[in-house]
Amino acid sequence: MVRAVQQIVIIFILILFLAALPKIVSVDSAGESLEWNFGSLPQVYGDFVTEVSQGSLGTYQLGRQTRPIAEDIGDNFLTSLKIVLIGVNGAVFISLIFGVFISRFRLTKIFGMILNTLAAIPDFIIIVMSMILAVKIYKVTGIRVISLRPDGGALNTWFPTLLVAIAPTLYLFKLISVKYYQTSGEDYIKTAVAKGMGVNYINFQYIYKNIEPFIKAELVKVISLAIGNLFIIEYIMNVSGITKFVFQSHEVQPIAIGLFAMLLISLIVYISIRLIFYLFKRGFIYE
Amino acid sequence: MNRLLKINYSFYFGVFLVSVLLFFCIFGPMLAPHSLTSTLETQYTSGKVLAPPMEPFESDSYPLGTDKWGYDLMSMILNGLRYTVFIAAAVTAVKMFFGTLMGLYIGTWKKTPGWMIAFENAWSYVPLFLILYFFLAPISFNSALEESALIGCFIAIASIISIPSIVSSVRLKTAELYQSVYIEAAKALGANKHRLIWKHILPQLKETFLVMFILETVYVIAIMGQLALMNIFVGGTIMRFDPIIYLSGSKELAGLVGQARGNIYGSTHILLIPLFVLLYTTASFSLLANGLKNRFQSNYQRTPWIKTGHEPQVQPARKKYEAKGSLWALSGPKIALAAILLAFTGAGIYVTATKDADVGVQSGSSANYQIDLSMDSDGVFTAEAVIQIKNKTDDEWDELVLYFIPNVFKKGNPFESVEGSSDAEIKKVTLNGKDAEYQLKGDTLKIPVSAGMADKAKHRVTINFDFTVPENGSRFSRVGSNYYLAQWYPMAALYQNGKWNKEPYSEGLETFHTGFSDFKVSYSLPKGYSFVSTAEKDPPAGNTEGTVKAKKVRDFFIAMMKDMEVYETEAEDGVKIRLYTRSNHDKDPAASLELARKALSFYQEEMGEYPLDQLDIVLDKGQFMEYPGIITINPYIGDKRFYDISIVHEIAHQYFYGIVANDPYHHAWLDEGMTEYATSMYFYADENQPEAQAFGLSRYRMEAIAAEGLGRQYSNVPLNEVKHTGYIYGQPTLEIHKMIQEKYRQKGDTPKEVGIRYLSDYYHMFSYKEVDTQDFIQFTKDYFSVPTGYFNNWLDTSK
Repeated sequence: MVRAVQQIVIIFILILFLAALPKIVSVDSAGESLEWNFGSLPQVYGDFVTEVSQGSLGTYQLGRQTRPIAEDIGDNFLTSLKIVLIGVNGAVFISLIFGVFISRFRLTKIFGMILNTLAAIPDFIIIVMSMILAVKIYKVTGIRVISLRPDGGALNTWFPTLLVAIAPTLYLFKLISVKYYQTSGEDYIKTAVAKGMGVNYINFQYIYKNIEPFIKAELVKVISLAIGNLFIIEYIMNVSGITKFVFQSHEVQPIAIGLFAMLLISLIVYISIRLIFYLFKRGFIYE
Repeated sequence: MNRLLKINYSFYFGVFLVSVLLFFCIFGPMLAPHSLTSTLETQYTSGKVLAPPMEPFESDSYPLGTDKWGYDLMSMILNGLRYTVFIAAAVTAVKMFFGTLMGLYIGTWKKTPGWMIAFENAWSYVPLFLILYFFLAPISFNSALEESALIGCFIAIASIISIPSIVSSVRLKTAELYQSVYIEAAKALGANKHRLIWKHILPQLKETFLVMFILETVYVIAIMGQLALMNIFVGGTIMRFDPIIYLSGSKELAGLVGQARGNIYGSTHILLIPLFVLLYTTASFSLLANGLKNRFQSNYQRTPWIKTGHEPQVQPARKKYEAKGSLWALSGPKIALAAILLAFTGAGIYVTATKDADVGVQSGSSANYQIDLSMDSDGVFTAEAVIQIKNKTDDEWDELVLYFIPNVFKKGNPFESVEGSSDAEIKKVTLNGKDAEYQLKGDTLKIPVSAGMADKAKHRVTINFDFTVPENGSRFSRVGSNYYLAQWYPMAALYQNGKWNKEPYSEGLETFHTGFSDFKVSYSLPKGYSFVSTAEKDPPAGNTEGTVKAKKVRDFFIAMMKDMEVYETEAEDGVKIRLYTRSNHDKDPAASLELARKALSFYQEEMGEYPLDQLDIVLDKGQFMEYPGIITINPYIGDKRFYDISIVHEIAHQYFYGIVANDPYHHAWLDEGMTEYATSMYFYADENQPEAQAFGLSRYRMEAIAAEGLGRQYSNVPLNEVKHTGYIYGQPTLEIHKMIQEKYRQKGDTPKEVGIRYLSDYYHMFSYKEVDTQDFIQFTKDYFSVPTGYFNNWLDTSK
């Protein structure tokens, strides 16, 4: 409990600090050094707390008009949440299935090789390449695979979802493969094999149970990977998600709200995966 | 077959690809075919329009194509690659160093403090690139900070913010190891904490750290790429408005990708090519890391009990403790490693050695001279010249062409400036040891090469000749009892562009074009004469016999003088200046010497090294003329100002003529114009004369042209077309000065400072090279980022 409070406080301070960074850092007029203007920091924190305690999220600039954040954030939040939720859950599912349960089949090996190759490519290259590919597909076949219009509906969001899912999948698949391999050398697996248990049974009852803690430990990192890519993907694919508040404004308030929304999304996704793990365990694993 | 499958391919490929990558990082800028500021200008050649953006593989000079402004993609990549790799490596090194150190020690604590874990967790929620984004966004766009400062900022911040994650993973690994039985044993034996960490834990982890280092490098590159997609480029973003575009200052690869982001719809090669190179970079690191991992895994891993689908196939390498001498035993991998090392250094040496080879105009020939010269008391000279002429091309020569200038001063010569005449005669010519025919017409000496020798790479020509020196001649001159031997020996012409570049002699400006040669001259003179020459070390006065040498000079001038006064002083770097004069004129020799000292010191300090050990100044009747290491000045003219300017002018020629060579017939303006500009800059910057005065002579020349109503003429016309020397001397000076005044802000604070630096950079770029107008235009275009059309006013840019 203490740790949770500590974490919340640290995150709160960190996010407001980040949001205020554009106000704090500047180049001095002589152009020779950086200026740190920490003096404005307390006021930033104060303003934010007052604004929120009044029940308002503040305002942001959209073109020339000033709009209240609270009115607009709902849709954007849901769009982003949907993308990350589907993306990360899909990533966990796929990497578990291919990394453990059907990992021993020959066909899976090919899939694994593809994933390993992709894993050597940095995410942003995959993102840019896939966009070029989508444009090429449209030019050649006339089929519109993606839409870069914010009001494009599913056409605008399915591709971002896929791209968001790629990084966590690659990361988790690698991790699970390694852990699976390590675990399978343990003595209790030898015992299980000696007892004549089937491979599927061992995978479920012995391997999965021992791999799950590692996945849980890396979950935060996985979600943070997805969120990091979400920012880029939303930004370059014109998805109107929470990124809008972070990159299109220069005031502290919308940036901070955007970042908090991002945190909230992480939290929801985290809880959803823990919930699925819990249900899976209750359903399939003998405790 | 089985053995082949067990080879750790990704390791070997990784090592190879990373070596190639590092090679391009180190030598890339030397290999770049174009400079970063030069653009492809739209042009119409042989029925095809060449215009940016050029697709890759279409043109030989732009192998990877250009971007839409005409900048060469390959050059940008070759220049930017090192930034990407070295910045990523620097960030990783810093964060790994501190992260590992902290992680190792914290991991041995009994209990990790709760706040630290809370901080680690909180920290890992926020994507790192976001933190960098918010930090760099306020300082990156059109930053007032220097590029290096911005890179420093990036390295510092990127390492600091990723230290927590390194600490966390090292801490966990350490803590796990710290509970092992062997640590307990070491503790029981009395090992203290430091020993445990450095002798027991680190050795277990060092392989993991190596893999981690490589993977983290890739990760940093990925972060740079993410930032680039948000238009934040490491080394600063140049933002242009109307339309809004973002450009990378350092041309770092991720930046190149970022700035070409708009090209997903068309001209995709501008985006794809840097992207592929970046992919290659990260892939080669990943392969290497993967290979290392395979190797360590196969060495240490326990075999699984069930079929997992992840079995490594690599053969484990076991340590053999007994085999001691095995370090030097030959094996496949060792040979491969040696081959890579050898190829790396070999290619590196080759690239470094040849990087300047294609600067300037190439000559297909070079010559070295060995001359015996003797003079009798009647002033008749007899000489034998042995000339080694080297053919550096694949062409077969059917003749050798030399200048023999004394021949044009024969009795009845048409030159007004020559009072007397010369009896010059060639006695005998041998080529490669055999007597040879020759034709001598005007100053052109042609020696046909007989069929059997045409393919020789080196020709040895021996010429016996004698001559007298015309009284009060032009350069090649006798004044009273003093003999000035200028262009007195057969000088090899230069073989350029498949033919001998030899133009006929004419009065006035220099018509002879020679390369850099080594000389060895033996002489014998009548008593009473002093020998003063181009040579590195002239003999003491009164020495009438001896041998002198000169290296890498374009001409060998000799003054044989009697009864002259000598004044001496010293410029920078111990360069001796000697002034020879008579006392029958109104110029003060001491003041002239002081002016020469100041001018030479100014050029030495501001422009570059003076390559010889001494500079001789001869004051006597005749032309104002420069020769390597020696100049002649006429003190008997009335115009004191012109006299002073001439001293500085001829000294400046030691740089622009003596070291930066040019064809004085076709591109005479290059040495005269640059020299006059350098002269004016001396008076302008060092003596602080007002601009109107410092550039007065050039203005005066142009006014004279206007008064004669000659109209306009390009400066780069052959000598036989030049309407007035003002186009050669004055016009370039004023145009360069004008350009510096217009453009100096790109390079510095004042026109004076930039003008001098421009001269210095030009001098360093083309030292011991030959320039032509195109080289000048190319250099200056790059220097001040101007298009070719900028020079149309005064240069024929098509030549």
